[in-house]
Amino acid sequence: MKIKTLSRSVDEYTRERSQDLQRVFHNFDPSLRPMEKAVEYKRALTAAKLEKIFARPFVGAMDGHRDGVSCMAKNPNYLKGIFSASMDGDIRLWDISSRRTVCQFPGHQGAVRGLTVSTDGNVLVSCGTDCTVRLWKVPRPTLEDSSVSSENFIEPAAEYVWKNAFWAVDHQFEGDLFATAGAQLEIWNHNRASPVQSFQWGTDSVISVRFNPGEPDILATSASDRSITIYDLRMSSAARRIIMMTKTNSIAWNPMEPMNLTAANEDGSCYSFDGRKMDEAKCVHKDHVSAVMDIDFSPTGREFVTGSYDRSVRIFPYNGGHSREIYHTKRMQRVFCVKYSCDATYVLSGSDDTNLRLWKAKASEQLGVILPREQKKHEYNEAVKNRYKHLPEVKRIVRHRHLPKPIYKALGIIRTVNDSKRRKEDRRRAHSAPGTIVTKPLRQRRIIKEVE
Amino acid sequence: MGEKRRSTSKTLGKNKRRKGPHLPNSILKTIANEKRPLNSDEEDDEIDSDDAIVDLYEYEEGVPEEESRKNNRYDPVVNYNYELPEDFEDENVESDDDDEGGNSDNEEGEGDDVVRHTRMLQAVTGMPSAAFDGESKRKPVLFTEAYPESEFNPTRDVLEGKGLLTIDELMAPIEGKPGFNELEKRISRMQKDAQAVVHAPLPKPERERLERKAVKGLVDKEFNKWVHMVKRNREAPTVYFNQNVSLGYSTVGAIASEFQPRTDFEKKMASVLNDNELGEAHDEDGAKLLELNEVSVEDQIKYRDHIAKMRSLLFRHELKSKRIKKIKSKTYHRLKGKDLKKSAMGALMDPEMAKEEAMKQEARRVEERMTLKHKNTGKWAKRMISRGLNVKYDGTRAAISEQLQINATLSRKMNSTNDGSSSDESDDEEELNDGSDQDTPSKLIAKAREKTLKTVEDDEVPNSGLLSLPFMARAMKKKNEEAIEGGKRALEEYEEWENSGGEENPKKTAVVSGRRVFGATAKVEAPKESRKDSDNFYDNSDSDNDTEGIENNDLGAVRDTASPARNTGAITETEKFDDDVENPASKTTFDVALFASGSWKKMKGCQNAETKKKLKKHVPYSKGQDKKESRDDESEDSESEAEEMVDGILTSASKETYEIPSQAELIQRAFAGDDVVDEFEKEKQEVLNQEVPEPEKPVLVPGWGQWTNIQKKRGLPSWMVREHEDAKKKRTLDLKTRKDARLRHVIISEKVDKKVEKLHTTTLPFPYTSKEVFEHSMRMPIGPEFNPATIVGSLNRPEVVKRAGVIIKPLKFEEANPNEKVDDEHPRSNQKQNPKKGGKTGKGQSKGKSKQKTKA
Repeated sequence: MKIKTLSRSVDEYTRERSQDLQRVFHNFDPSLRPMEKAVEYKRALTAAKLEKIFARPFVGAMDGHRDGVSCMAKNPNYLKGIFSASMDGDIRLWDISSRRTVCQFPGHQGAVRGLTVSTDGNVLVSCGTDCTVRLWKVPRPTLEDSSVSSENFIEPAAEYVWKNAFWAVDHQFEGDLFATAGAQLEIWNHNRASPVQSFQWGTDSVISVRFNPGEPDILATSASDRSITIYDLRMSSAARRIIMMTKTNSIAWNPMEPMNLTAANEDGSCYSFDGRKMDEAKCVHKDHVSAVMDIDFSPTGREFVTGSYDRSVRIFPYNGGHSREIYHTKRMQRVFCVKYSCDATYVLSGSDDTNLRLWKAKASEQLGVILPREQKKHEYNEAVKNRYKHLPEVKRIVRHRHLPKPIYKALGIIRTVNDSKRRKEDRRRAHSAPGTIVTKPLRQRRIIKEVE
Repeated sequence: MGEKRRSTSKTLGKNKRRKGPHLPNSILKTIANEKRPLNSDEEDDEIDSDDAIVDLYEYEEGVPEEESRKNNRYDPVVNYNYELPEDFEDENVESDDDDEGGNSDNEEGEGDDVVRHTRMLQAVTGMPSAAFDGESKRKPVLFTEAYPESEFNPTRDVLEGKGLLTIDELMAPIEGKPGFNELEKRISRMQKDAQAVVHAPLPKPERERLERKAVKGLVDKEFNKWVHMVKRNREAPTVYFNQNVSLGYSTVGAIASEFQPRTDFEKKMASVLNDNELGEAHDEDGAKLLELNEVSVEDQIKYRDHIAKMRSLLFRHELKSKRIKKIKSKTYHRLKGKDLKKSAMGALMDPEMAKEEAMKQEARRVEERMTLKHKNTGKWAKRMISRGLNVKYDGTRAAISEQLQINATLSRKMNSTNDGSSSDESDDEEELNDGSDQDTPSKLIAKAREKTLKTVEDDEVPNSGLLSLPFMARAMKKKNEEAIEGGKRALEEYEEWENSGGEENPKKTAVVSGRRVFGATAKVEAPKESRKDSDNFYDNSDSDNDTEGIENNDLGAVRDTASPARNTGAITETEKFDDDVENPASKTTFDVALFASGSWKKMKGCQNAETKKKLKKHVPYSKGQDKKESRDDESEDSESEAEEMVDGILTSASKETYEIPSQAELIQRAFAGDDVVDEFEKEKQEVLNQEVPEPEKPVLVPGWGQWTNIQKKRGLPSWMVREHEDAKKKRTLDLKTRKDARLRHVIISEKVDKKVEKLHTTTLPFPYTSKEVFEHSMRMPIGPEFNPATIVGSLNRPEVVKRAGVIIKPLKFEEANPNEKVDDEHPRSNQKQNPKKGGKTGKGQSKGKSKQKTKA
């Protein structure tokens, strides 16, 4: 005869250390918990609502420039430092944590159009419409930066005058070259007064340049002839070029996927390309209603931030067609430059209203030290929200964003225009012989051709 | 080159035919040089057009030696087999041919031209050609000869007639000479090298395009080498960015080692700490300290033994207490507790104190006994009991019983104190036995004996009612016989017991108290069980105690049906019984009722308590005078039915022709009058009307169009009628297309529940390719309440794990590791699909399935 007894081993419920949590025994039999799905759905709904409640993305503004902020550069080696330059030739180094100017770099006569920092964070390169390239030595961060408000001025370490005005500059990743964009693409060395290499393809001026962080010798440029070009420095030649229907204002390489780049286009969309196959965009990121002025990838490579002429900043997933987030304030004007912070936690935007603004990358993220259990709770909320995000109610809450009136109206107009275009297209197709009218997919529609 | 060569040979052939005045070579050369820039452009064309021109005059002079190239002054063309590449274009090839051969061609062409020109001039002007001699003097003879032609310097024609000079021919004379082999080798090498000919550089745009093509390939290769890393990152359910972060110093020692004294105080401290003498002193001192610390072996052993002893003692004590704890006997524990208390009291207090305590207790006991305060003798308690409120209200009853309890505890204390003081337990017990046991059991037994005797003596069978049925009678007889037998035995035993002195029968006189008495008497009277009928029939004046016992026995027969709770309230009930049970007739019906209720229970599966109730109720019913009242009580269906059954049995017992109805008949009878099918149809119709409502009939709004008679004549406007018709048609169509249209016994509701609607997605969400996969992904909960703690973390982990404040560097290249394991076991890996892949395929599919409702 079998005798059933209760047996409990002491080891099962004894803690190893006094700090350990007490083990709680659950019976995970689903038949005992018939409402688990309903419970989780409710939690997802609550999590979505809580996310909305805690969404306070704006951290602070950095005021100090006397003209619109034209460009920014982040120090790849120091999290708190951010450089910004304005249209009146003023360059400043900011301390993000205290949101104050650490020092200024006076010297440019006209607007500063390009700003970049070497990977080690020691050299700042600026260029502008006064046809000069200036190299500055970045002051080492000290503890006094945040406490003392005395603004000090720094003299340029080098100043190179060149033949034409500059539109952009970017520094090589872990090298000592930098590239300027002007009448043509020029490659400079820190120690030379003139460019070591120069590229020209066509006669139009280059308006933006960006080095590939993964492949330091490859860079991409966009030119005012609506082209995007990839160059290889080792071969001292261009590799690919596509012509689009509208100009590309800025380019960003994905730091985690060296073959992919995203272009911020004048038509209000961003186009993600595979550097090996440029005749078709991998993804079209639409949401802005006006020209996208600047773009910067998150260091995680999973999303990027864009600043637009429509006075808003948006965050897109790297593979998503629409933005995850839109940031705007009443006083923020045309956004000329955006940066993602090096720890992928903050977003910075510089706009025409002479301010730099600091935003959280995740609007409802809790800042500061988070206890492990708190962290777990956040993770669970996120996971459960992510799981039920397809259900209408959760979706509605998660997707809802308040838009400024001009953007909202513009979106409506764009929608109407697109609808009517599509209708027209449909009718045209319906009334012509089958196969005669071919519609290109959206990913190819704005690309005119790839130049050999 | 070959072509050129060909053209050269052609011109050579021409030159042979064309013979002009033999001018000194130097002059000719200057002429040629002067002439050249004039028409150097058309040279190529002319070369080809030469053939067509018919020479007008011939000059006998032979071909100069250098033209025949026999004097080795010019580069020999060794390879005639060379062919141009397919894509070779030479439309605008600039003249890179600097050898004289090319020039010679030009000269020839020019010569022709000049001739033609002079002729033309002659024709036009009519002047003799001498007039233009200045021009013709510059007639080109291209090549000069170092030596005049002679037998030592023969022409090719002279030697061979036709045929060209080859290197082999040239080499032939020196064959066998020293160095010949080497020369031959060099020549053969040159022949091979001649194939790698440098071409003209391509035009710049063309060149750049080619360059770009090459660069493109290289860049693509560069990008391709990252593919495995990118793929891995994308497919990973979670990407971690906070790895390998050094947060500076990890230990206090590391921080301390970096310490540099800055202030004076710190410097002083450092100088002291780093002093050599001090260190030495400390070392020595430390050694001394160590000596002091020494422990002898004996001491150590002693200490160890002591510890071991204490441990073993502890262990033994523990074992003992465990063993004691295991003992289940209550008495033992009580005694032990008492001992403990006593000893504790003794230990705590001196004997005087103990005595005082005892005195106090005694006093309390005495007070209790005198006042009987807690024996429900108080005014309130009496009033409660007299009014029966203690039965009615739980609270009152509890209060009263509590008082009794207090009384009991007080008296027990008395015992304990008594025990403590006098220690004559055995006497007490004996007294108790005398008091309770001795008189009651003996009396009971005596009475039992009397009854037994009676039963044994009278042996009658009732001749009416159910018990008069033959099988009942038989069973009764048998039972009676058994009972008599048992009774006789009991009597014998009793006599034996009496003889032995009554005291020596502890088995039968087990300690009994309270209501247990009934049980005990029942046991004693067990043999008399069957006697109940006869006994009760004829013994109208039963004494109380006896009847109680018997009644209990009666009920014992139906005890399986009666609830155990009955034991408590049994007394009063049976007493009531007794009041009712006065005549034998009523008794009979009572029994019958019992039987009937038993059978009823079998049929209906009624509750025990109910049976009990019935039992109570049937008794008065059986009595004539109470009949009407009880009838009023029994208005309930089931009970009346039961009654009928009882009646039926009773009557059938009298008629003896009762036919038991068949099962089907019974069911039919039971469900007579309800038409389930019809009801269902009605219900279905109702549901249909609700879900697909019937269109409203069009009505004319009063007042509209009624001021004339036209409207009335016309009736309803046609559009109204049409609309109504359409609505009707639509309704019929809807009804037909319903899922339950053809299923007669089913209602399938097609009403959309709005509350449920929000738990569904309208379309299949993007990354999922099928409904099943989506539903599967939602199936298991991910919360910590529903999953073990070990997997909750991995279930809830976000896609990107990073830490604020840690700089994330761009991707570093790593070679693909062929042995790398792809972690498929991750619980969420099947949930997440490659978004990029899905981006191309998934969209169309999800659009295609937009109609489909997916359950979340």
